[in-house]
Amino acid sequence: MLAIEAEGLSKRYPGGVGRPPQEALRGVDLRVPAGAAFGLIGPNGAGKTTFVKALLGVVQPSGGRIRLLGGDPQDPAVRARVGYLPERLELARSWTPLEILASVARYKRLSLPRARLLAQLEEVGIAEESGRRVGGFSKGMKQRVGLATALLGTPELLVLDEPTDGLDPMGRMEVRGLLQQAIARGATLFLNSHLLAETERVCGRIGVLVSGRIAREGPLDGLGAPGAAETTWRVRFAPAATDPSARLAAAGFSAAPDEAGVFRLQGDAARLNAALDAARTAGALVVELRRDGQDLEAVLAAAVEGRA
Amino acid sequence: MRVFAVALDLLREARSRKWTLALVGATSLVLVLVAFGLELDVVDGALAATRFFGGSGSGEIRPVEVALRPLFEAVASTIFGAGLVFGVLACADFAPALLAPGRIEQLLSLPLRRWELLVGTYLGVLALVLAGALYGGAGLSLIIMAKSGVFGWAPLLAALLSAAAFSAVYAVMVLSAVAVRSAALSGAAGGAALLLFTVAGSRSDLAPLFSAGPGRTLFLALTSPLPRLTGLGQHAFRLAAGRGTDLTLLLAQLGGTFLFAAAVLAAAVALFERKDY
Repeated sequence: MLAIEAEGLSKRYPGGVGRPPQEALRGVDLRVPAGAAFGLIGPNGAGKTTFVKALLGVVQPSGGRIRLLGGDPQDPAVRARVGYLPERLELARSWTPLEILASVARYKRLSLPRARLLAQLEEVGIAEESGRRVGGFSKGMKQRVGLATALLGTPELLVLDEPTDGLDPMGRMEVRGLLQQAIARGATLFLNSHLLAETERVCGRIGVLVSGRIAREGPLDGLGAPGAAETTWRVRFAPAATDPSARLAAAGFSAAPDEAGVFRLQGDAARLNAALDAARTAGALVVELRRDGQDLEAVLAAAVEGRA
Repeated sequence: MRVFAVALDLLREARSRKWTLALVGATSLVLVLVAFGLELDVVDGALAATRFFGGSGSGEIRPVEVALRPLFEAVASTIFGAGLVFGVLACADFAPALLAPGRIEQLLSLPLRRWELLVGTYLGVLALVLAGALYGGAGLSLIIMAKSGVFGWAPLLAALLSAAAFSAVYAVMVLSAVAVRSAALSGAAGGAALLLFTVAGSRSDLAPLFSAGPGRTLFLALTSPLPRLTGLGQHAFRLAAGRGTDLTLLLAQLGGTFLFAAAVLAAAVALFERKDY
């Protein structure tokens, strides 16, 4: 089942006086399977927030089609199954976090006792402020309240637009934990964040939106080098041990170590294991091994520049 | 019904707003001042003397029901006018605050239809204004009853008519808020609507000021669909003064006011339905 399905989605904002019309989305096709943790990345002005808003009916698409959890996003029954945190959250200033949660629970027709609402606030680390008006809250505290409302009622789909904005590093870590819990219970996560490291840590699938189009999309592992024949592995051996170069060359890897003594070997996992076994049999000692993939920053840069 | 959930949420929000609390406090203060300052000496069913903070009223001895009519008329006009001004001042910010960036996105993501959000807000504000006007009206009626033994319905009627007139004013304010999302402009639209509806209420008196011809025709055409604010007020004042009123005309003016409010609110909903946030 698909949690999100967009077909040829386009959005054109009409121009105004001294403001030309703007094509925010130009035929976005995207499918996010249920239970996936999907991260949408892209440069400023790529249309990420417009896409998120179009998902929830906050902006009306100019063309194309959107399905959310198999239904129409305009259907309140569908939206009752979605938790959303907008990018620039503004809360009723004269309300307390507890009142805000109670209000959202009423709209979602959840009959949650006060203790459950407090537990939700506890989860996002704001329970001690449950009776204080949010008008005096910092940005990070408001963000926590917003996150609590998004998580209320264990939604099937979480759509979060910059959820860690305004949070300190500890707060980011807590939020990451909460999102991972939600994913673990089977919820679908759709995350829009400019913090690539956060996205990389939480999401298994990534979409890169550039100039209103999906430039790349797929599992995190496969995004780095689309079309690349082989994976690059980064291997380091203990310096005092036997030099493994000859054994690696015999296994078909043509590589010399860099100044730090790191070999970058291109090949599949089976060939790599055979080569490492041969080197270790000869007395070499592996002290570090990891896939040498591109990070999201490089993926994004490549997508923006239109490189493969 | 989610419409009523929205309306109740608005009332909850109003309850915790300092501005609303200040206006309720000011109304209470006026009631307390009247309660302590107004003295009515009733002897054998006749009003013997009236004093307000020591100042004496008419010394003429008249039956209390008759003698109190000018007082009820004054109270009715105060309640009618204050209800409208209270509404415009205290409620200008509600719709724009609901439509504020960051808040509207979250509200629209909830299982609410757009029209439910707007109509719920509208009904919540009307309920708030009605409650405020009734509080002032009932308070003054009870004070007069405690002082004279006569309960007058005029202040309560004036409160109801004030809320009815405000339904048209607030529809204009909601339309303005949907179009521009500014509390200042919403308040200004409310003030302009009050002025225009007052002019419309006196259109037959004002029309001769225009020279006969296209100018007068245009004035009459433009003011024709607008609610007759002064007309509604005058019904309240006449009833308070015991002069009786034309019930058919009152019902027609009320119907016209509600029809105007419904049409403007429908326009606001139509605009809201296709608006991006």
